[in-house]
Amino acid sequence: MVEKIWEKRQKKKWLRLLRSGDHKAFAEFIEKYKETVFLCCRRLGLREDEAEGVASETFLAAYKAIGRYGSRAELSTWLWTIAYRQGINYLRKNRKQGQFEAELDEQVVGSKEPEPATSIQGRETEKIVWDAVERLPRLWAMAVILYYREEKSVADIAKIMQIKENTVKTYLFRGRDKLKQVLASAFEEDIDGGR
Amino acid sequence: MVAGKLNDDKFDEMLGQSLRRHSEPVPADFTERMLRQIKEAEQRQILARVVLQERLSLAGCIVFGVLAAVGITVFPGRIAGILRSIAAGFAERGGAYIDGIGQSISIETVRSEWQLYTILALVLGFALYCFVDMLVGDRLRTA
Repeated sequence: MVEKIWEKRQKKKWLRLLRSGDHKAFAEFIEKYKETVFLCCRRLGLREDEAEGVASETFLAAYKAIGRYGSRAELSTWLWTIAYRQGINYLRKNRKQGQFEAELDEQVVGSKEPEPATSIQGRETEKIVWDAVERLPRLWAMAVILYYREEKSVADIAKIMQIKENTVKTYLFRGRDKLKQVLASAFEEDIDGGR
Repeated sequence: MVAGKLNDDKFDEMLGQSLRRHSEPVPADFTERMLRQIKEAEQRQILARVVLQERLSLAGCIVFGVLAAVGITVFPGRIAGILRSIAAGFAERGGAYIDGIGQSISIETVRSEWQLYTILALVLGFALYCFVDMLVGDRLRTA
């Protein structure tokens, strides 16, 4: 209980420092969230150099706007929103009109159809799941990652991706369904083990 | 149905766990480079503010000079009268000037010469801003 209060106070203090533009606090903020921002950029299909550029722009935008951050949304949700918008804006500026929409429907990697995960031998579960997610259309993959990895609510995902909640639900349903098909054979034992 | 639900839950759990275990590669010195970029952006911002301030000062000097020149050319008698009355006011009141400042600049005087007093107020305000900025501006900007 005391520890929780202490943690809460420390977090408040850190947020206050962050809002005041303290460099040390912002360095901690970057350390804490850089992986998340790169994850967002790469799932949008940006190349390495592009992802780094957009990640930098995201943190610069966050630094400029942190003074106005009002704690209503979680800090990570707020940053995800900035990163996603920066990524989408980058794609809009640097891809041709049709190509941009088509890219969002594509997978991040490889072939058009997800490969069935027939063998789990020699590969870690995590790697197989990740590969399967990367083969989903980008917007589905984004929704799945936000929901299952980042544990965001449907409302938060809708806010981040600037789409309707029902669309998020559709992406999640389709994404999950596809993953279940692809991963069925790999996880057969684990999932059916309880039967 | 129940078995299906259980399997769904188990699948969700497995999916969540696997995705959470994934770590995204990030360039090793990203934080340091980012902080450098932020410091550079801040320096650029400070420089831009100083340049803007300098330009405003210059514009203020030019506008004030032009207004003074126009005033002297168009209303020489009036300007001379105002300056003379101000000088006379200082001389007459001497040490009691500060006490009688309320009377020396009466509302009537301000109303009749509002253009001049507006310019004076603007110049004084800007001078005060520059003075305060010179003293504590850098500390506020880098705090």
